[in-house]
Amino acid sequence: MIVINLDVMMAKRKMSSGELAQRIGITQANLSILKNQKAKAVRLETLDAICRNLECQPGDILEFREE
Amino acid sequence: MDKADNVIRYTKVATVIFLVLVVVADVFGFSITNYITRVWADREDTFALITLSTVYYLGTVGAYVVLIAFYKLLNNMSKDIVFDKANTKLMKIIAIALALMGVDCMVGTIAWFGTIYVGIICFFMMLVLFCVRAVFEKAIEMKSELDLTI
Repeated sequence: MIVINLDVMMAKRKMSSGELAQRIGITQANLSILKNQKAKAVRLETLDAICRNLECQPGDILEFREE
Repeated sequence: MDKADNVIRYTKVATVIFLVLVVVADVFGFSITNYITRVWADREDTFALITLSTVYYLGTVGAYVVLIAFYKLLNNMSKDIVFDKANTKLMKIIAIALALMGVDCMVGTIAWFGTIYVGIICFFMMLVLFCVRAVFEKAIEMKSELDLTI
């Protein structure tokens, strides 16, 4: 399964959910869906915005784990 | 969008009119079945009268279920609740009621063969409704995936 390590990256950058949601232009509810592994798909433009704002690579956020 | 709202509104009115007609058909049920048995079926025996009356009243029970469920479905649609599990559940209720009405009409052929036509229409409507339900279920699945695409 693909795990989204958004919490870890946000903690490293000391960025709150509200601030990140505002910067990448999505609602806090949608960011929460991402953080809680409830999302079924991530748009490339969302990933692009997250990576730009958290100054990281997609691999830092997305991780494959055996179920 | 306005046109769709009007269609829903008029269909709701038509459903209420049909409900009233079913109530009237229930009130005069015995006279109607008596007429069908004597004139259309051309039978004088009590067995035919009892069978047709039972089939007729069971059919009207099915019609109540179908019309009330259909009214609820239209009500949901007028509130913009379209691709929802509640609607597919209502469609399932309508389809099952139609299937049972079809079976009921098939039993009615014991007394009068004419009921088979109503039965065939019921079965066909059931199939159409199951198809519409399948389309709705696919749409609900797609909507859920779209909602969870961030």
